[in-house]
Order: sequence, then C-alpha cells, then structure tokens
Amino acid sequence: MSKLNSRITRRRFVAGAGAVGLGVFAAPRIVRAQGGKITVLNWQGYGTDEKWALEAFKKATDIEVVHDYFNSEPEMITKLRTNPGAYDVVLTNSAWNSVASGEGLVQAIDTTQISHFGDLNPSLRDSALLTKDGKVYGVSWVWGMTAIAYNTEKFNPAPDSVEVLWDPKNAKRVSVRDDAIEGVSYGAIATGQDMNHPKDLDKVKAKLLGLKPQIATLWSSEDEWNKLFQSGTFDVSVYWSGSAARSKNNFKLPVGYMVPKEGGIGWFDGLAVAANAPNLSGAHEFINYMVDPTFYVEWATKVGAPASANTKANDALPAEDVGRQIHSDQAAIKRLQFMAPLSDDERQTYSDLWTEVKAEFAK
Amino acid sequence: MAVADRRNRGAILALTGPAYLWLTATIFLPLSAMLYCSFLDKSPLVPQPASLTLKHYAAFIDKPVYQQLMLWSLELGAVVTICCLAIGYPAALALAKVIKGRWREAMFLMVVLPFWSNALVRTFSWAMVLRPGGIADQAIHVVAPGAPVLNILYSYPAVVIGLVHSYLPYMILTCYISLQAIDDSVIEAARSLGARSGALFRRVVFPMSLPGVLAGSALIFVPAVGSFMEPRILGGAKGATLGMAVEEQFTVTANWPFGAALSFMMLAAVLLICLALYPAARKRMEGL
Amino acid sequence: MRNRIGPALLTAHLWLVLVFLYVPIVVMAVLGFNASPLYALPFQFDLVWYKALAGNAKLIDAGINSIGIAIVNTAIATALGTMAALAFARYKFRGQTVMQLLLFPPVAIPWLVIGTSMLVFFYWVDIKRGLFAILLGHVALSLPYVIVVVGSRLATFPRAVEEAAATLGATPWQTFRRVTAPLLAPGVIGGALFAFAVSFDQFVISYFLAPPGVTTLPVEIYGAIRKGFTPEINAISTIIIVVSMGALLLTARFYRFGGER
Repeated sequence: MSKLNSRITRRRFVAGAGAVGLGVFAAPRIVRAQGGKITVLNWQGYGTDEKWALEAFKKATDIEVVHDYFNSEPEMITKLRTNPGAYDVVLTNSAWNSVASGEGLVQAIDTTQISHFGDLNPSLRDSALLTKDGKVYGVSWVWGMTAIAYNTEKFNPAPDSVEVLWDPKNAKRVSVRDDAIEGVSYGAIATGQDMNHPKDLDKVKAKLLGLKPQIATLWSSEDEWNKLFQSGTFDVSVYWSGSAARSKNNFKLPVGYMVPKEGGIGWFDGLAVAANAPNLSGAHEFINYMVDPTFYVEWATKVGAPASANTKANDALPAEDVGRQIHSDQAAIKRLQFMAPLSDDERQTYSDLWTEVKAEFAK
Repeated sequence: MAVADRRNRGAILALTGPAYLWLTATIFLPLSAMLYCSFLDKSPLVPQPASLTLKHYAAFIDKPVYQQLMLWSLELGAVVTICCLAIGYPAALALAKVIKGRWREAMFLMVVLPFWSNALVRTFSWAMVLRPGGIADQAIHVVAPGAPVLNILYSYPAVVIGLVHSYLPYMILTCYISLQAIDDSVIEAARSLGARSGALFRRVVFPMSLPGVLAGSALIFVPAVGSFMEPRILGGAKGATLGMAVEEQFTVTANWPFGAALSFMMLAAVLLICLALYPAARKRMEGL
Repeated sequence: MRNRIGPALLTAHLWLVLVFLYVPIVVMAVLGFNASPLYALPFQFDLVWYKALAGNAKLIDAGINSIGIAIVNTAIATALGTMAALAFARYKFRGQTVMQLLLFPPVAIPWLVIGTSMLVFFYWVDIKRGLFAILLGHVALSLPYVIVVVGSRLATFPRAVEEAAATLGATPWQTFRRVTAPLLAPGVIGGALFAFAVSFDQFVISYFLAPPGVTTLPVEIYGAIRKGFTPEINAISTIIIVVSMGALLLTARFYRFGGER
C-alpha cells in the first residue's frame, strides 16, 4: 500500500517539478527600449560593456545597449556571417577589418557623424588596414602593445632584451600566451625577422623549442595571468600593455613593463558598423561615445585600458597614470612591429608550427 | 526476446522514433554536413566556391604531430577510464551490497551531488588545491614540515586527477544501477552451494554487473579522449591533446574542414577501439 | 564462513571516495567566502561576493535559465531515451547495432565541432537562436546518456520475473506497470540524473545558440575565465549545490533511490 502511495505522490512531484521548469523556462523576459537599441559585438569585458558607460550613454541618448560576445576573431567573423542584421557595432582588430569589409560584413562609416574623428591619431585613423577605396570601415579606437611584463621584485635592474625569456637563470619562471600568431611573432622577433611574414620558419621553430625548459605554464586570458602572477607561478612573460596597466592599478601587482630592444608587437582595434545594422544612427553615436575623452579617461583610470586612438583623450590622462606612461614611451613605440592581416595558408602554417612546439613541450 | 516481425515493427518505430528523429534533426544532419565539409578545401561559409579534397585527412597522415596528439588523447582516455573503474567499482559495490537502508540513500545522494557542480569551477578548484603553496601543499606541510614542496600542478598526474574526479560519479552510478539489480537471493543461493567470496564475485557478481561497467566505461572513455579544458587548466604546457588541436582550427585558423577531419578521425579511432573490445565483452555477458 | 573484512574494507573505500569527490566542492564553497578576488591565501572571511552576487542580475538570470532548461531537458530526454532503450532491449531488429553506434558521435565529437555544425545548420534551416534551439541541442546531447544508462539496467534485469508474470496471466501493460517499471526505475532515475547534469553543465550549445542578452550559467562561467573569474562564481555555484542537495533530499522522501528494499 505504501508503495502505491509513494508512487502517486512521486508522480505528482515530478509533474510539479516539470511545471515549475516550464514556467521558469517560458516566463517572458521582454525588454522595452524607448529610444531604440543597438547590439554590440565585442570581447567580454573590453570597454564597450562597462556598466557605468552604458548607463551614461543611455541617459544621454536614450539608447539601450545589448552585448554579444566572441572569444576569438574567427568566431567574430562567423557571428557576422550567420547573423545578418543582428549587430550594429562590431569590434574588429586591424588585422581582421579588411577580412570583414572584403566580404561585405561591415559597411562604410559616415565619418561626419563622428565628431571626434579629427582628433584621432592619423597613422591609426587613416591606416590602410581600416580603410578601403577611400572609405573608412573601422574607426580606430584603441591601440596597445604586446611586450614583456616582469615582476619588479624579482628583476632589478629591469630587463631590456627579449632574451630574458630564454635566460637559463629564469628556467621555469617564464610564461607566454597560448597563441600561435603571438608565439611565431616573438620567435621571429627574437631571430631578427619580420614578425608577420618571417622567411625562415625553421629558425623560428627552433627558437621557440628553446623555451621548453623555461616555461612554467602557458596563459590564455588576462584573468588567468593575474592569478598565476599573483601566486608566483612565473615572474616574466609576454603580456598586453593595457592589461599590465590594469594588473598594476586594480590588483596592485608588482608589474613592470618593457618593449625589448629587439622589438615588440603592436596592434590596434577599430570599431566597425555591421552591414544591415538595424540602428545606423545609434551605431554612429555609440562609436563616437567610445572615442570620447570623457569615456576614455574614466575607463582608463577606473578600470585600466590600452591607449586611446584619440590623442586628446590620451593627453587628458593624469601624468602618473601607469597606462599613459607605458604608451607614451616614443622610443619603445618605434621598436614595435604592427600586426598585419595574414593569409589563410600563413595562419595554418603558424598554427601547425605552434601545435608542434606545444607537443614538444608536453613530452 | 521477441524477434522483429510485423507486429513488433510498429512498437519498435514508436519507441525509437521520437528519440532518433530528434537526434537526426539536431545532430546527425549537422554532423553529416560537417563530414562533407571535411572534404572541402575551404570553410563552407566563405563566399568563394570550394572544391572537394582529401588534403585534410592527408595532413593528419603527413604531419606526425597530429598522430602523436591522437595517441596521447587515447592514452589519456584509457588511463582515466581504468582509474575510474578501479576506484568506482568497489565504491559502487559497497553502496549496492554493503550499505543498507537510509544510509545507502544518503550516500548515494552524496555521490551524485558533485555531478551537478560546474566542471570548470571544479577544475579551477583542483588547480587551487594542487598548486605549489596551494591547499594540498599546505596540508602536507602541517603534517610533515620537512617535506618538499608539492609540485604536481602542470603535470600529467594532475590532469588525470582532475578528469578522474569529473568522471568518477559516472562509473559509480552506472555500476551501482547494475549491481543493485542483482538479486540478493542469487548471491545467497551461490553461497549455500559452497561458493567462497572470491569465486562468487568473479563468477556471479562481476559478470552480472558487466553491462554497468561497460556503460560507465564508454561514457567516460569517449568524452575523456576529446577533453581539452582540464588538460589545459591542470596540465599547462604538459596538457597537449587532440582536442586542443581541434580548437585551434576553430579559434585561430578558421580552418573548419581540418578541424572537422581531425574530429572524425578521433571518432573513428574511438569507434574502432570500442568495436574491438565489444566481442570480448559480449562473450562474458553470454552466460546471462 | 562469512567474510567480515571484505565489507569493512569496501565501506572504508567508499568513505575515502566520498572525501575525494568533495575536496574541490568544499574548496569551492570555502573560497566563496574568501576576501581576495584573486583567490589568494591566507583565508580571510568576507561576505562581499555573496553581496555582489545579490546585485548581479545577469548571473542570477543565467542560473535560473540553466535550471529551467535543465528541468525541461531532463523530462524530454528521459522519456525519449527510456523508450528507445526499451526497444533495443526487448526487440532484436536489423539496424539495431548501427543505431546504437550512432550514439557515439554526440559524445565523441568535440563540442566545438558539434556547436559549430549546429550553428551553421540551424542558420541554413532558419531556426533562430533562442531557448528553443538551445533545448533542441541539450536534449540531443543528453539522449545518448539516458539510452546507455537505462539500457545497462535493462541488461542486468532478471527477465524471468517478467516472464513469470506473463505466465501468471498478466497482460503486457500490467506486467509493465507492476513489474518492469519498478525494476526499471533506478535506471530511469539514473538516466534522468545524467540528463540533468549534462544539460546543467552544457556550455557549447548554449554558447552558440543563445541570442544576445540571454545566457546560461556555464556560458557565464566560461566567459568569466577571460573577463574575470571572481569568487561570485563560487558563491552561485555553492548556492546551487546547496539547493540541489535540498531538491534531492526532497525527492528522496518520495522515492527511494536505492530501489525497493
């Protein structure tokens, strides 16, 4: 008898749970936007989704900003291809903007709607990587470097050569990012070659294999870097400049930053408008806000950011701001090689090379 | 067991239809498209027309690194499965046959609960435990102050620990379900006929629970071979797997055909292994 | 001569296994109360992350989405999977082996490939990203687990009991309801547990098929790896474990997981 009872009660329970599930699942979540809305596609936590910024933007323009994220550039392209008309603003790295514009995934920007356009650094603003046939397909937004970050408590005096990564004194104290392009680039820089199209890949590979006794581990996100650095897993690594500023500012980590005398990687990002963007004027307004010095200064000082493409915005930073100091070192900037678009074959070759290097590391 | 005749065909269709229709629409058709894609020389979404080629499969054969990664992944899957079996089966046996009553329910729930925690969070917690200066290290030094620093993070054992921990509940659950179905009266009967514990286990209990063992092994081996997050987080530079290479093709090179080819090679390897072991397993179950 | 040592050793082993299983769970829960955002030790008690979580509508929404989807997924997958497993066990038919082999790809193929193929396929077939698409994917990935688990239970089954019932005059439906179903139940429950776990931890489908603005917990956690994995994640994970424990205990009141004993 009790078995029968328990079975009936159980059935009811299961039905009840199912009803709860369906109710939760089907509950409408409707967002009503009065001033219109825009959808932004970007890395997560990369400036455009700062809560305070979106609130300020909404107050000023009555536009609601919704975000979608990607975790890799090929994914960004895939999302653009498979979601036509879903996005308004897209972040494109300088090496990828031409891919997007070549396929018609982003449209020409009406620069008259960008009031700060004239304040942008000309070498970035007018770069061939963001323009095509005289039209602008990406508004240069931020730029930064990928160079060497080191623990100031362990390195005195500061290192100045990329060979610090290969110095046997630093065995098992080094880290690099798990990224094929970055790996090959630094292998090229360390062997004195063009980082985008190195001629002697065997040399690059041999150099990278030399890192095997050096690396403690590979890192792949800023968050991971912070945790590993803080726990003393490594003392010197390849790292992004804006992130180094953030690690120092926010997390009070003893981070020093330098561009090796052999060279470093430079990169810049541009904000693009997707083809078939549903809210064209909203997209332009948002981009303009992103290159506005008021937004930038708050972003850089409150959170930490790469350098702005807007020279006025950079100048508005306080002199002792870590990011400003890193990004105004003119001598360092001269040593940078900037990332360029790569062909599919090149990318595949570098990826295979890096996979082989990692397989050696794992042996 | 009823043989398929006209009467039963309706029942078979009605029972398997819904599940397999669902699978076809959401997995088999998309994967077939992916399989086709692995024979193209360009990604399907790229506007330029693509042509058929075997070069991605050839790349697997030409480049030893991918074969190496495949072997490592298969090995990792096997090691994890065997560890889960060695650790999980006795635990399931205890739960099914030794513990009784309310305790059994409680412990069963305890075993199942970690199942529902997020895999990434669990893995990061393991990293915290296993790193030098981490929790395990500190615990060891509380007990034995002179011991050397525990340096197990970023090594193969750490990856195995993490994966075994993730998949252990699978094995315990499936073995338990099978063991629990074995009627105690069968065991009593065998004992009364003079069987001693060792023989009892070998000839009665284990063979009867074999379906559970095989189910657990398959559900662990197959995904473990394709794992790449735990190897990355816990193995660091030592955590190179084929799954990692597949990820590269989707996040760096945008070479979907190659990524698809690698995945289908992995599927083929796993299927071959399971098919090879299947007759041996069948034979042991025949006695039922 | 009854063996006393064997059972005692087995019990001790089970306890050790439980300790092992809970090491990262306990660590995760404790670190949710640690002040440092970088998980730095020594431990400093602080409720700051729980407070932050209370204000983090996005994370809470993600958690609720995950649970809702998981519940619906479990119901559908368990029902469909059990039916299929019954067919495999009760009838021998041509193509059976192939159909069983077809259960491998969803589990074997790396998630990136499955996710991408679903993304592209749904795009071609014009199924929009959304909760429906996510559910389609979750159930598909849960089905193999349910079928395998229920199937293994059916294989261990004392078939003689069913046959006895039939010879005693019970109709097939009566046999099913009074004999097969209760004996099958632990297998079905096991399958349901797997289905829930698979869905709740399922990140690939949700990642690829969720529309902008909608996320689930695993997607948030994965995103947090890049953006900043703070102990807020620990806090919500701990809450979920506690709630799950409560739900399981509640269910246990109505049904004995151990089976009729």
